[in-house]
Amino acid sequence: MNWRRIVMTGMLLCAQWLSGPVLADEMLMLRLNMKAELAVEYLQTSIEEHGYSIAHIQLCDGGMKDFGYESDTYRVVFFGKVDEVRRISESHPEFAAYVPLKMIVVAEGDESVVSIVNPRTFNQYYQGDEQMRIQFARWYNDIRSIFVDMSKAAGQKQLASSQM
Amino acid sequence: MLFARQLLAVFLIALSMQAMAKPDGRVLYQLHCSACHQFEGAGGIGLPLSKKKLDEVSDDYLFKSIRLGRPGRVMPAYREMSDAQVNAIIAYMRERTNSVAKVYDPAPLSGDLAHGAALFEEHCVKCHGDEGTGEGKGTGVTMSRERSFLVMPSSVANSGFLDSVTDRQMHHIISVGREESDMPGYTKKGLSEEDINALVVYVRKLGKEAGGPAAIDPDEPLAHLTESPYDFETTVSNVKAALAGANFRSFPDRFLEQGLIDEFSVNQRQVSIRFCNFAELYGMLKIEPRLGVVLPCRVTILERPGGEVVLVTPNLRVVSRWFNNDELVELWEEMEETFQEIVEEATL
Repeated sequence: MNWRRIVMTGMLLCAQWLSGPVLADEMLMLRLNMKAELAVEYLQTSIEEHGYSIAHIQLCDGGMKDFGYESDTYRVVFFGKVDEVRRISESHPEFAAYVPLKMIVVAEGDESVVSIVNPRTFNQYYQGDEQMRIQFARWYNDIRSIFVDMSKAAGQKQLASSQM
Repeated sequence: MLFARQLLAVFLIALSMQAMAKPDGRVLYQLHCSACHQFEGAGGIGLPLSKKKLDEVSDDYLFKSIRLGRPGRVMPAYREMSDAQVNAIIAYMRERTNSVAKVYDPAPLSGDLAHGAALFEEHCVKCHGDEGTGEGKGTGVTMSRERSFLVMPSSVANSGFLDSVTDRQMHHIISVGREESDMPGYTKKGLSEEDINALVVYVRKLGKEAGGPAAIDPDEPLAHLTESPYDFETTVSNVKAALAGANFRSFPDRFLEQGLIDEFSVNQRQVSIRFCNFAELYGMLKIEPRLGVVLPCRVTILERPGGEVVLVTPNLRVVSRWFNNDELVELWEEMEETFQEIVEEATL
């Protein structure tokens, strides 16, 4: 039955949370032993493999050197699923302020730092709203999985094989 | 019945995985610490975690620093991590740097407060500030940008620091200095044991006066939803005019669904007006380099199924808290007011 599948999905998401290390922060961050340009390419691929579309990629580093930055790469990758955006903007229009999702890739020499707001941060504003909480859990798990992909691509095998 | 058993089995497996897994300090460090402190502890957003630094501190200090973080100074508090996970990270840092933990007597020191204040003024204010909250912008060293200091002088009045450090560790650091961050050793500079005791006592007093980051009202909404008395096109036009009046540059509009579906299927009655003031933006990125995860600034205008038009803006007062960065919180308090003025003007 459909409801059983839904409940099971929810429980599985919870179980996955329980089995992994707990992230404390409102921000999810990952350092990659990989140049930022390459990281952006791998990120796009992984995002799409997780069923999301890349809405667009914003280049923020155009004038950064004029403002004292050393960075040569600062990208914001916007991504989402149209059915999710439609459902959320319909049922929770206030959340339209936070979709599509955004992930940054910042160059640090030959390494890069990837960062995104932890979707679990939103839970506190949707206490008792099971639909939204499941949505945030899905995003969270997908981001963790994307981070695993990125770690593998960067050759950080031990990190990739762990429960992120 | 079978379904209930399946659910129970899933939970028991998950819980047993959690209980049996031996935490891997290297993996935990890479996951939770390396983004700011770098893989080899060279420092980035976070301070360097080198042998020289780690040799001077106790494991208890590291444990508490991870647990408590530095409120308002970017480093988050990892309260939900297990003791075993925190200890595994510390063990990994020790192994990686071949450093040896110092052990400090936890007994507090006593000293002459007024003398400590005078010494602080003479030797410490120029880097740590009048109130001990640190000079300069942000924390740590660079994240792809220049800083006037190699390492930002720490906020010695920060509750996370003061609740982690013992008086005697603080005394030791003042005495020998921090070579990597250009902090001199004050014993060599002529301060006596009593002088340093007085400084420690004064720093504790600064901590009590500093308090913590301003708390946010728990009723603050995640975002603001404002009904427009105008139709969709007029509302869009009004928002752009209000943004221009507030000295913001607008980017080309983007439909909310744009790029997520083919252009013919996009809902064109949901649009994000994105805007920016570049000088302010780059100033903000200096304070908080991760800001891109919530940028650009935007007002989203939705035409609802019933025809009513609403404006949606993020609540910057809430968003700024996600970065644990007091400087950003202060700055975005003003920005939040500007946002609301723009929305008000557009919906007058």
